[in-house]
Amino acid sequence: MISTFFYNLLAGYLPPILAEIGSVVGVFIVGTIIVLNIPLLLGWVDRKLSGRIQSRYGPVYTGPFGLLQNVADVIKLLGKRFITNQSIDKLIYDFIPIALSVLAALMIFVIPLGSPGLILVSIPYNLLFIYIFLALSPLLVLLAGWGQNNKYAMLSGFRGAAQITAYELTLLMALISIGILAGSYDISSIVNSQHTIWNAAYLPITLVLFVIASLAITERAPFDVPEASQELQAGWKIEYSGIRYGLFFIAEYVRLLVVSMLIVYLFFGGWNGVYLPDYAWFWIKTTVVTLFMMSLRWVYNRPRIDQLIDIGFKWLLPLSVINLIAVGFIAVY
Amino acid sequence: MRSGTGLGLISNFRFMEKERNRITINIGPVHPSTHGVLKFKVDISGDTMKKIEPEIGFVHRGVEKMAEMKYYSNFMPIADKLDYIAALNWEVLYASVVEKALKVVIPPRAVYLRTMMCELQRIMSHLLFIGHSGEDLGNTTLFMWGFRERELLMDIIEEVSGGRLAPMYISLGGMYYDLPPGLIPKLASTLDIIEKRVKNEYRALSYENGLFKMRTVGVGIIEANLAIKYGLTGPNARASGIKCDLRKNAPYLAYDKLDFDIITADAGDAYARFVVRVNEILESIKIVRQIIKDLPSGEIKVKVPWIFTIPPSYTFVRQETPRGEAAMYMVTDGGQKPYRLKIRAPSLYAVQAMSEIFVGGKVADIVAILGSLDPTPGEVDR
Amino acid sequence: MEFLDEIKAKFPNVLESVDGSNENESVLLLKDKTKIKRVCKEVKNHFDILFMLMAVDKPPKIFELNYVFSSYKTQNILTIRVNIERDKAVIDSISSLFESADWEERETYDLFGVEFIGHKNLKRILLPEDWPGRPLRKDFEVTDEVRNWTGLDLKF
Repeated sequence: MISTFFYNLLAGYLPPILAEIGSVVGVFIVGTIIVLNIPLLLGWVDRKLSGRIQSRYGPVYTGPFGLLQNVADVIKLLGKRFITNQSIDKLIYDFIPIALSVLAALMIFVIPLGSPGLILVSIPYNLLFIYIFLALSPLLVLLAGWGQNNKYAMLSGFRGAAQITAYELTLLMALISIGILAGSYDISSIVNSQHTIWNAAYLPITLVLFVIASLAITERAPFDVPEASQELQAGWKIEYSGIRYGLFFIAEYVRLLVVSMLIVYLFFGGWNGVYLPDYAWFWIKTTVVTLFMMSLRWVYNRPRIDQLIDIGFKWLLPLSVINLIAVGFIAVY
Repeated sequence: MRSGTGLGLISNFRFMEKERNRITINIGPVHPSTHGVLKFKVDISGDTMKKIEPEIGFVHRGVEKMAEMKYYSNFMPIADKLDYIAALNWEVLYASVVEKALKVVIPPRAVYLRTMMCELQRIMSHLLFIGHSGEDLGNTTLFMWGFRERELLMDIIEEVSGGRLAPMYISLGGMYYDLPPGLIPKLASTLDIIEKRVKNEYRALSYENGLFKMRTVGVGIIEANLAIKYGLTGPNARASGIKCDLRKNAPYLAYDKLDFDIITADAGDAYARFVVRVNEILESIKIVRQIIKDLPSGEIKVKVPWIFTIPPSYTFVRQETPRGEAAMYMVTDGGQKPYRLKIRAPSLYAVQAMSEIFVGGKVADIVAILGSLDPTPGEVDR
Repeated sequence: MEFLDEIKAKFPNVLESVDGSNENESVLLLKDKTKIKRVCKEVKNHFDILFMLMAVDKPPKIFELNYVFSSYKTQNILTIRVNIERDKAVIDSISSLFESADWEERETYDLFGVEFIGHKNLKRILLPEDWPGRPLRKDFEVTDEVRNWTGLDLKF
């Protein structure tokens, strides 16, 4: 546990109260650095991957293999002027990008980073915490749609709210069935319960439900219906510019990574593996899952909002209820 | 939309079902999916379109007025830019109308070369359409792939004429240049590549992809009588089951000597229009292969002076461009310039029909239907 | 061609053939512009769509309107040619018969100033609403008013 590590490091030189504060500061700095680097790295991977799929190179000029392209983009975004509409709701407008990125960042603080001890803040039931943070952010999208006083943004906000209502129950049901089987909502215990056999083999339907629902809830393409740059230009991001717009990328990529990590933890045995150290196993699996989630974006087009909600309510939700009952029976007998 | 706090919008939501409180949104003129500069004023209720009013004229350049002010030969570069996606088709059309008025007969090799260029341009235009359809539905990969294959043909056109988008290859009385040596084998292999990719790679990503079908099947249905009512032609009409193709019905150039079919579909929805165009690419490849096989040798042009006069006459020519039946009606008065040149742009009628096709669809269908009708603002606005 | 005789038989004194027609393209001159709607009603039995509508400015007296009709089944093209007075350019709209005439008539109104009576939405289509003049008329000149036009006076 990283906070304990900092505490023990500082306790030798400082009184306990200062060491406590120091460990909090340390955790905060480490977590922020991790969070800020995720979009830089994942953004690069996303660009390169899409380039490969689409028969082009992706970024090549900035740094080796174009690795610094996203750093350049951040510098550009920082240097950009804020262009804001006169009729926006200033409070909501300013609040949304910060709230979204902070919510996303909080998930990195409570999720294990590859081995049981490698966690910034250790809390029980961290799976439920992460679920709450995932399910809250779309409500902020609705608020963002209102706050910008723009028709496109408002339509997008409505879409976001509708989409999330349709899918968050499915996600919750999938999480509950995992929880029932493992007997805990703590990620470490869930991983340990998969020591002999992965949940993916036990619960293939839950896996499919979880992947679809998490794609929808993170508004990742092909389920980026609220953003829909072809119909609604950029949806709820439409009035944002400069680094405010950049903050959305933090939220987007951090949520993508967290969802991929969750899939590995919940279904593919987390850090369980042979020969290699546990974090190596975990990050190999996470890379594969993340690349899979990313590549979905480049091979599928986006469904329409009414079709998306149809799928959510008519198919996924009933299926997830049945699945939950079935898992309950398995767990009891 | 009222100003003030964002939360004031809740009241808008409550009244949305009432007619006078519908939301009006403007799609365009500057919008990623209007294929240029078109504008739609859409009244929506919730996510459903209730009334739609297309507005055109944003790239109106006064082409018909320009024609009256230029010598016959000098209008060619402007005919090029009418539809910048199918420039060669319009060049051929304009050359045909002037040659018909002049009573010039072009040599057989030029006829075949023109036919070949028309078909290559049709393939390029339809590839761009496929790419745009993917982009409109949110699949950027299809967009890139469409451009990738189009680029191969662009290289061929560039090698032949020196230009890419506006090649200026057709001259009055024939062609400017003959094919460069070694082009035919290169063209043949390019066609093989395109055929293979359209049949395999595109299939997986578009016309047999579940999500793609979900977005296009049953969307923007044009019944045959609606197509006739608005005068739709080309692939849009053929997707509604109307067997109209000027290449077959009123053959011009070398089309009566070539073997090909009219591609039709019955459903009349966005998916049918997509499939018709995909099959037309394959059909055009077939045509080009036949032309390569029996391309006659000989002269490529007859001498037509740069400045000449045409006696008073009315000349009407219509041909099949990738977007439908295009026509030019030229009135001459014995002078060195056309007295009046009226251009019929097939896209204009497709855009006009949109006000009826769109009603009842969702907002997301705007781009799907618009993309499937494949208009070019350049020729709509002239 | 039968359809030509049929149409002409319905309107014996007002329609006459024009020289220069070839096998598929026939031209009929309509002498009485008030009959245009009834002639078009008859044409509709033989043709599917209004293919194009070409106005030709023949100063000082005449606007010549060429209604081109085509059919999906045959190769035939029929042009109905009507002459109207230039200073009183008014004619009945046929947009209720042929839907595709709607925008063609608006365009002719826009660029020539020909008014179509009975058109449900006769306003400019290609040019902005406050554009001075009718540019495709032969007497159109680029005046100062045109040169200084900014489009900013238009009220939305």
